[in-house]
Amino acid sequence: MSRNSHLVLIGVNHTTAPIEVRERLAIPAGRLADATRTLVHQPGIREGLILSTCNRVELLTLQDDGATSQASLLRFLHEYFAVTPSSLTPHLYEYRESEAVRHLFRVASSLDSMVVGEPQILGQVKESYSIAREVGAVSSSLDSLIQRAFTVAKKVRSETQIGSSSVSIASVAVDLARKIFGNLQGKTVLLVGAGKMSELAARHLIQQGASHILVANRTQERAERIAAEFRGQVVPFHALYDQAARADIVITSTGAPQKLLNRTHGQHFMQSRRNRPMFFIDIAVPRDVDPQMNEVEGCFVYDIDDLQQVAATNLADRSREAVAAENIVATEVDKYQQRIQSRDAVPAILALQQNAETIREAELTRAVKRLNGLTPQQLEAVEALTRSLTAKLLHPQLAALREAARTRDPE
Amino acid sequence: MLLYGVAALSVLPAALYDRPKWNKIAIPAAIVGLLFHFVSLAEMLNAAHHRLPVDTHETQALLGLILAGAFLLVYWRYRTVSLGVFVLPISFLLGLVPAFRPGQESTPFPQFHTGWIFLHIALLLAAYAALVLSLLASVLYLIQERTLKSKHAAPGASWLPPLETTDQIALKTLLFGLPCMTAGLLIGSLIAQQTIGPSYFLDPKVLLSFAMWLAYVGMIYIRRHSGLRGRRAIFLSAFVFLVVLAVWSANQFSVVHRFTTP
Repeated sequence: MSRNSHLVLIGVNHTTAPIEVRERLAIPAGRLADATRTLVHQPGIREGLILSTCNRVELLTLQDDGATSQASLLRFLHEYFAVTPSSLTPHLYEYRESEAVRHLFRVASSLDSMVVGEPQILGQVKESYSIAREVGAVSSSLDSLIQRAFTVAKKVRSETQIGSSSVSIASVAVDLARKIFGNLQGKTVLLVGAGKMSELAARHLIQQGASHILVANRTQERAERIAAEFRGQVVPFHALYDQAARADIVITSTGAPQKLLNRTHGQHFMQSRRNRPMFFIDIAVPRDVDPQMNEVEGCFVYDIDDLQQVAATNLADRSREAVAAENIVATEVDKYQQRIQSRDAVPAILALQQNAETIREAELTRAVKRLNGLTPQQLEAVEALTRSLTAKLLHPQLAALREAARTRDPE
Repeated sequence: MLLYGVAALSVLPAALYDRPKWNKIAIPAAIVGLLFHFVSLAEMLNAAHHRLPVDTHETQALLGLILAGAFLLVYWRYRTVSLGVFVLPISFLLGLVPAFRPGQESTPFPQFHTGWIFLHIALLLAAYAALVLSLLASVLYLIQERTLKSKHAAPGASWLPPLETTDQIALKTLLFGLPCMTAGLLIGSLIAQQTIGPSYFLDPKVLLSFAMWLAYVGMIYIRRHSGLRGRRAIFLSAFVFLVVLAVWSANQFSVVHRFTTP
C-alpha cells in the first residue's frame, strides 16, 4: 500500500481446504464483529477485515511490518479458532500487495467462487465491510481499496454476462418456467411425490411468484405435511390425472418404477387447458413422465439430465465470460496500483515544494531590501518572476518523483 | 428513415445478444423516428396538395408509421424489443422508397368526406399492421416453442420473449385489429354507397375485403375458443395474411377501388 504499510491477505477457501477445515474456521455472523475487533488488536495490524462464508475464510489486513505482524496474523488464526498450526498451515494461502488487491477484486467479482458468477459473494463482502467499519477496523486505506473492489465487481457484472444464466438445477427449472410463462405470478405448481430437490425447485418457483401449490403423494400424511409447509392444497393421489391439468408446472419426484404420466395424459391435459402450456419437471429416477409427452404441443418435459445439461451449458457460458471478467480485474488492479503508488510520492513532493518556497521567500525578502523603493506593481512583478522560476526549476524533479513512485524506484 | 435504421440496427444487439443497454438507443431512436416520420408524411401530403395518402408510396409510408407505432405500443406494454428485429426494418423499408420518389399510382377518391376517407384508410392499415404483428408474434412463439422442446438453448435464444407473452401479443393485436378493420370497412362501405351506389359491392376487391373480414373474425374465434397456438396458429394467421395480400393486390384489377397511373 504505502512504503511503511503492507497489504496482506491470508485465508482458506474451497479449493485449498476441505469442508472439515473450513467449518472450524467459519465465523457466525453474530461473532464477526468480535473477531474483527480482536484481529485489529493484534500487534502491527493497522486495519483489518474478515470475510467468512461457507466457502472461504479470509483476513485482509493492512500491516505495519510484514515480517513481524505476519506472525501475529498466524497467531490470531491459531488462537481465535483453537486449531493447531500444523492442521491449518498447509491449507492457507497468502497474497501480498498487488496480488492481495487482485485476489480481493476477484473474490468480490465472484471469479474465485465455487460457482463462478454467483451473486451472493458481493453481498457477503459488503456485510463484512459494514461490520469492520462499525468496529472501527477499517479507515482510509482499506476503505478506498474495498470501495474500489465493489466498483470493479459492479463493472464485471454490467460489462460481462457472467451472472446472467443459471447453473443450479432449481434455478434452471425456474428460468425455463419463466421462458414459458414469463411472469410466474399466480401460477399453480403441482408437486407429485416428495424430495429435497423438488421442494427446493418449488421454493424457487414460489419466490418468483408462483402462488398456488398442490401436493399429491401416495402417503397422505406426507402430502399434508408438505402442503402445510407451502400453504398449499392436497390432491388425493388417485385424483392426480383429473387434477393435474389445474397446474401450470408439475414437479414429479416419486419412486414409482413405471411412468406416471404419458403422452395420452399430456393430450388430455392440453384439451382440458385449451392448449395453455404445461411445464413438467421430472426429477425422479426412474423417470415419472414419459419423454414422449414432450412431443405433445404445449407440453414441455424436462428430466434431471435435461436440466443438468442446461446447467452445464450455462456454466460453460460463464467460463467464457470469466475470461473477459479476468481482463477487467487485471486492468483495474493496474489502475489501482498506479493510483496508490502516485499517492506515495505526495509527502516527498510536498516537502520539496515547501523547501523551495522557503528559499524563494528568503531570497525575495533579501532582494527587496536591496532594491529599495520598488512600487507595488514592480514588487508584484518580481514576486511573480520568482514563483515562475521556482515552478519551472522544480517541474523536472517533481515529474521524476511521480514516475519513480509509479515504478517503485527506491532512489 | 435514418433513425429507423439506427433503431433497427441497435435493436439487434439488444434482442439477439441480450445487451439491454442497446434499448437505450433503439427505443429513443424509434420514438424520434416515428415523430419525424409523421412530420415527413404530413409534409409529403402537403407538398402533393392533398390531405389523404392516395398514392401507393404514401400509403406504404402510413403503414410503416403505424407499424412503428404498434411496435412501440407493444414495447411499452410487454417490455420486449424482439418484435423490433422484424418490424423496424419493415418500417424502415416502407418509409425509404417514398422518401426518395413519390408513388406513380394513386387511388381516385371523391373530393368530399376527406376526413372519413382518411379514417377508412388509417383504420384498415392499423388492422393490417395488427395482423403483421400478430403473425410475427406467432412466429416468435413457434421459434421459442421449438427451442424449449429441443432442450438445448440455441445460441442467442434468450432474446425470445416468453411463450405466454408472445401468445398475448398475437391475440391482443388481433383483438385490436378487428374493430379497426370493421370500422374501416363500414366507413368505406357508407362512403361507397353514397358516391357510387350498390354496384360498388359487386366489385371483386370489395367482395374480397368482406371475405378478409370474415377470415379475420374466424381466426379470432378459433384462436380464442380452441386456444390455438404454435404451428397451427401460424398457419391460420398466414392464411389470413394471404387474404389481406390478395385484397391489397386486388387494387390492381378493381374497377372502383384501385391504384391507377394518372
